[in-house]
Amino acid sequence: MEEKVLAILAALNPDVDFTAETNLIDDDILDSFDIITLVGELNDTFKLDIGPQHLLPENFNSVTAIINLIKKLQAEG
Amino acid sequence: MSLTSPVFFLFLIITLFVYFTVPGRYQWLVLLVASYLFYAVAGIKLIFFLLLTTVTTYFAGLLLSRWKNKTRKKWLLAAVLLFNFGLLAFLKYYNFAIAGLNLILAPAGFALPSFSLLLPLGISFYTFQSAGYLIDLYRGKYQAETNPAKFALFVSFFPQIIQGPISRFDQLAPQLTAPHALDFDQLKYGIQLMLWGYFKKIIIADRAVVVVNTVLDNFTSHSGSIIAFAVFFYCLQIYCDFSGGIDIVRGTAQMLGINLRENFRRPYFATSLADFWRRWHISLGDWMRDYLFFPLSLAKPFYKLGKRTRKLFPGKLGKIIPTSLASFIVFFTIGIWHGANLKYIAFGIYNGLLISFAIVIEPYMKNFLQKVQINPQGRFWQIIQIISTNFLVFIGRYFTRAASLGAALQMLKKTFFFFQASAINSGALLDLGLTKLDYLLVLCGSLIILGVGFAQEKGTSIRKTLEQKNWAFQWALVMVTLFVLVVFGIYRQGFIASEFIYQQF
Repeated sequence: MEEKVLAILAALNPDVDFTAETNLIDDDILDSFDIITLVGELNDTFKLDIGPQHLLPENFNSVTAIINLIKKLQAEG
Repeated sequence: MSLTSPVFFLFLIITLFVYFTVPGRYQWLVLLVASYLFYAVAGIKLIFFLLLTTVTTYFAGLLLSRWKNKTRKKWLLAAVLLFNFGLLAFLKYYNFAIAGLNLILAPAGFALPSFSLLLPLGISFYTFQSAGYLIDLYRGKYQAETNPAKFALFVSFFPQIIQGPISRFDQLAPQLTAPHALDFDQLKYGIQLMLWGYFKKIIIADRAVVVVNTVLDNFTSHSGSIIAFAVFFYCLQIYCDFSGGIDIVRGTAQMLGINLRENFRRPYFATSLADFWRRWHISLGDWMRDYLFFPLSLAKPFYKLGKRTRKLFPGKLGKIIPTSLASFIVFFTIGIWHGANLKYIAFGIYNGLLISFAIVIEPYMKNFLQKVQINPQGRFWQIIQIISTNFLVFIGRYFTRAASLGAALQMLKKTFFFFQASAINSGALLDLGLTKLDYLLVLCGSLIILGVGFAQEKGTSIRKTLEQKNWAFQWALVMVTLFVLVVFGIYRQGFIASEFIYQQF
């Protein structure tokens, strides 16, 4: 799962080392346009339904946070 | 009651005194009474509209927290939002719409009556704030406030009701209802912030406005260079007026022990137009992002459109079309919110187009920079970006300041095709309502703001730096600022502290 998420992130911005960043949103590394693209890709890849209510900084600040969100949504089914 | 009026100071002193005298558990009641008193001074009848929003939002909030059925919740949310935004739109645009309808109806001999509707103070700001609360409840972010009086305080909190910042319930409400012991540091920081705000407003904005109005209310008789000069002053005016007003609001709240969110982050250092809008009126931008842009972009029609455009245009363009469309709608909404006028719509389109364009050309720009060996992270490129962003913002300001879209285009035409640089000379400038001393004050004031901004961009905390100086220096600084404000501000003949621009929205 992590590899897939990293690949999606790398397509957004190849210059960022996403494994090291823990403040992707708070440091403005990902802007709102990136978030929308990211959510679209995550929804497609993992068959999820990420909605506006999930778009909180704490869900997208790091790769770990993103993976946790995916797992949470998959568990909710 | 204007934030620059002596009545406000008296009101604030009494409020502070009572607030810090009563037991902590009653402090929020003092704030509620003060907030409604403050509102009543603006117009006692207008409290009706404030109450209408408070009551509808309060009960809808309770139901949204209680109900489990998603469809029911959705309908309730839609109905209450429609009601409150409908009220805002009605009060804001009724006469504009009637004037338009009457134009159409005139040949048939009909005429609808127009009313002199007074816009309730801060209606946009408390409506946005209440709507955000409801949407958060719908999304299950937190539980509804059950105490109606505490909720009423969240909607009406007096310093911020005039022009924001638009706060979030989970950040503001707990602070409003918590007990606050008198804290001299908070009091001092609050006063410092207020003084900084008054400095921006009274020393710069209230001077710049003289040139702006003299030239732009009668722009046909001025050459392009003088118009450009006045629009530049308008940029100064609107920044110092709005951010100064917010500083006063935040300073006031801080004296009460309440921290309101920042609304400006040195926008004149922005490196792109998108960056500018992330630094300007931040609380409105965040509101639009969370409650309009995100839901729109993630809505099914946009999602489907995205799939189609990605097939049609592989690469960045295909991905960006639906998101750009959503951001267009956001800018359009912000434009319409400023006023029912074509110039605001044009302003929205101008910003939306440029921001989308910047994203599309980003990869090409990167290649170009690599070829000419310019480091995109380097100082040189950053300065170029800051200058070009300020230029784009400057052009955008023609739209917001001009009386109409037509006037804005004519002003732009004059600036670009009939510039006549020689028209800017000391004789002409001194004919615009300001003296040499006034210009000097505007210049020095702007340089101070720029200097402080530069230090803050570098990560310096002005507050902490001041803290490290001895108390004599700190007091001297406060006294000098007060002296400057009194001598060159409030009591200077011929100048009356004007209303804040954003109060009208």
